[in-house]
Amino acid sequence: MVGMEPLDMAAVSAQPSWNERVNSNVTASACLERDAELMLRVRDGDQTSFSLLLGKHRVPLIHFLFRMVQNQSIAEDLAQEVFLRVYRSRENYQPTAKFTTWLFRIATHLALNCIRDGKHEKLQDSLDQHSEDGTPRQLPDRARTVEQELLYQARLDEVRQAIQALPAKQRAAVLMHKYEEMEYTQIANVLSCSDSAVKSLLFRAYETLRGRLAHMA
Amino acid sequence: MECPRNSGQEPELFVAYAAESLPPATSTALERHMAVCAECRRTAEDQRRVWSALDSWEPEFISGDFDRKVYARIAAEGQRSVRHANWALRPALPIAAVCAVVLAGYLLREPAVPQNPSPRVDMEQVERALDDIDMLNKMGVASQD
Repeated sequence: MVGMEPLDMAAVSAQPSWNERVNSNVTASACLERDAELMLRVRDGDQTSFSLLLGKHRVPLIHFLFRMVQNQSIAEDLAQEVFLRVYRSRENYQPTAKFTTWLFRIATHLALNCIRDGKHEKLQDSLDQHSEDGTPRQLPDRARTVEQELLYQARLDEVRQAIQALPAKQRAAVLMHKYEEMEYTQIANVLSCSDSAVKSLLFRAYETLRGRLAHMA
Repeated sequence: MECPRNSGQEPELFVAYAAESLPPATSTALERHMAVCAECRRTAEDQRRVWSALDSWEPEFISGDFDRKVYARIAAEGQRSVRHANWALRPALPIAAVCAVVLAGYLLREPAVPQNPSPRVDMEQVERALDDIDMLNKMGVASQD
């Protein structure tokens, strides 16, 4: 057996590649300051800054909520509520935490409540579906043949079911880690628990997912 | 220099390896180890498949009017706040009206009848009493005579 150097597990963390992580440190710090600065401007009554925050965080937030509750309509309602709460809290805003941590804490809280209350009963989303007032939805560009689409849907169903079968908190941790590329500490801050508790949640979740999804090529 | 499965580092290590977030040196060392450790190789491959399966879950579509709905909810809440403030003031209006009526009534009421008679009335009574005494005195003197 080939041996290994002892690992610096503190360095083993989230999703982006090592080089990307190193290179993005300055950018992340700038983003933190930028979001907080925008929110402080919102606090001072600047509506344009709120529009910028909405535009920047709308998509990841809705995607996270959709993967949590697996219902697009409910996900968008919850996302609206998140932004409403952000706006409502503007006068008391203090940049003590990363803006996205605060945002996802509100979102996770709403999603967990929704799941607990059983309001996320799965509705069938259709590609032809329009919003309530008839405005067409923004569709991602998916250039697939019918056969590819069927295969994709079968694969997607399996993934969605595997995620849905996870306990809600494990689900939130996996979604933030995998899709939002959050580090353990930030996930811990969102879920209001320790780093070690987050690791425990994540590794149990990934172990469960390995059991359900590892057969997929 | 032990296998990660024995050192308790396995879960975190293989998740980070699948996410390509390991430091380059650690990643290289793990790959060397996996070349001779079938168990770790299989675990890493399983985790990579999970990662790949999760990657296939593409984002869903978003309503074109999402922002409009957010602003509508903010505006509705603003109006609700104004209505709530008006509603909160509503009970105060009749109370204020009642207070105003009471105050006006107090200010416009007729002067109260004085409890003590005026000094002028006292003097009249005194004069009458003195006249009565004089008259009685005269009558008494006349009768004595």
